[in-house]
Amino acid sequence: MSVPKQTAEIFEILSKGQFICSNSSNERIRKLFDVIADDENFSSLYEYFSAINFILEEGDEFYYLSRIEQKVDLERKIETAFKWIEIVDFFKAYDSSFLSGFRFQPSDILVKVNVDAVLKDKLDGLKRWGKKDTYKDNLDNIIKMLCADGFAELENETLNEYKVLSSFKYVEELINNIHIPEEVQDEIPE
Amino acid sequence: MEMFQKRNSLPYKHEHALELLDDNEDIIQLLISKEVVNQNGSYLEIDERFLDFFELVLAANEIINTSYINENIEYVKQHILYWFQENEHTRKHTHLKKIKSILKKIGRITIRNIVDLKRNVENTFKTEPNYKVKLSKLENHKKKLIDIKKLIEQTEKLITEEERTFFVTALDEELRSITTNLRLSLIEARHNIIEIQKQIVEFINQIKYQSEFIEKLRQVKYLKDQFEVRVKTNIDVVLADANVLAFETKPSYPLKLSLDSLQLDDVYKSILKINKKVKTGVKPVMQVADKISEDYLEVKTENEIHINLDEVRNNFIASGNHLFDFLQNYKFPRDVLYEEKVTVYCQMISLYENDLEISEKYSHHNEVEYAIVYPK
Repeated sequence: MSVPKQTAEIFEILSKGQFICSNSSNERIRKLFDVIADDENFSSLYEYFSAINFILEEGDEFYYLSRIEQKVDLERKIETAFKWIEIVDFFKAYDSSFLSGFRFQPSDILVKVNVDAVLKDKLDGLKRWGKKDTYKDNLDNIIKMLCADGFAELENETLNEYKVLSSFKYVEELINNIHIPEEVQDEIPE
Repeated sequence: MEMFQKRNSLPYKHEHALELLDDNEDIIQLLISKEVVNQNGSYLEIDERFLDFFELVLAANEIINTSYINENIEYVKQHILYWFQENEHTRKHTHLKKIKSILKKIGRITIRNIVDLKRNVENTFKTEPNYKVKLSKLENHKKKLIDIKKLIEQTEKLITEEERTFFVTALDEELRSITTNLRLSLIEARHNIIEIQKQIVEFINQIKYQSEFIEKLRQVKYLKDQFEVRVKTNIDVVLADANVLAFETKPSYPLKLSLDSLQLDDVYKSILKINKKVKTGVKPVMQVADKISEDYLEVKTENEIHINLDEVRNNFIASGNHLFDFLQNYKFPRDVLYEEKVTVYCQMISLYENDLEISEKYSHHNEVEYAIVYPK
């Protein structure tokens, strides 16, 4: 079986729990995306990775790896998912169009945090993942987490402008997949 | 111009206008008297008729007016009817001229409307912050689009079917080119409409998805804050099925460095570079020895009086006494204890054995038994 010559590079990124997104500002990543997107490459990579117990998964404009068997305990996953929910909730409160392709500058968010009590409250709620004193440090920490998990990246260093990557859809999908029974939905106040 | 730009926002203040016109009150009064500008208390407004005119000329209107096309189609129909009924040549010609101008206008307006609509759709999608308003606005644009589509169909029908007789009989060169142009613009318009329609549908779907997602997020967040999310939803099952690596801690693969390559010169540079980054709290301090005490540096002389055994021997040879007795009485340069004298006795025997005659006779002194020794 022949695999593309970028396989090592692809594995290097994906095996760290990162995503390969089509809208990354890194040209190298975009190139890798194109390599995987090729049907022939995809099937050979899929086979190749499944031989070492990984599943190459295809999302909407992004690729990632998952395992055949569960390795992390449920508690840890719940903890991570809760963190993501809080973060997404915060950014959606900042701007409802916070989704793949959205660009933001921490300074803009800070300005809004200062005048929006709800946003401030949500940011306070995120403190437990950072324990930072100032809002700025706390926000920087959240953005750092978002980038570390591969959902956003620093696109413009001069402007300190970040971009939401297509992998963000993964979190959206995850949250959408949580089924809330109708009778529970009725209990939730508007 | 500035007033026109702000037509949709706040009313324009009288003093602002005055400022703009270099405090020339006369101009404002003139504009008011000619009904270009209306005065409303301390505010000024551009008259509706002029506003419409400017919007039309500058192609800046945000409202898509489909009834306008409809009206024009009616006009064409009327004038065609007049044309058929009219027998007088010049008047017939006037009707034809009218028809031509309306047909030209229809094409232009249709395209204009589509461009405006496209812009409005995009603006709504990008700038409208309220999801519900955004959705209804887009739905309205969609309705408008269908209206325009109907009008295009009507116009085409008009040219090709309904008034076919007219277009065949009244055909002159100009009319032919006008109708061809009109049909071309209609085709273009139709293509554009399909495109916009696709876009609107996509936007609506996106918005629906997003507003549903936000609603879902709100609910999940609420349950999470109430600590009920694990009991009341299937989050455990969803997460149990998701074995994505993103949930795992970021692995690092600590490979041992190759010792061979560490010896290379270029690697040494890297090592130095990395070493700069490594900041340990421990600072290697060279252990400094204590100061040497002044006492050690001072030169002290200690005198020891050395017993010159050679001298003792010479004196002994000169004396006639036996060695032990001689040493007991010998005047050493310093005080010598009895034990020392015994030691000297032994040293003398071992050093100068050849010069001495050791007899077989023994004698006693203070519990020490010694051999009687004479010089040779």
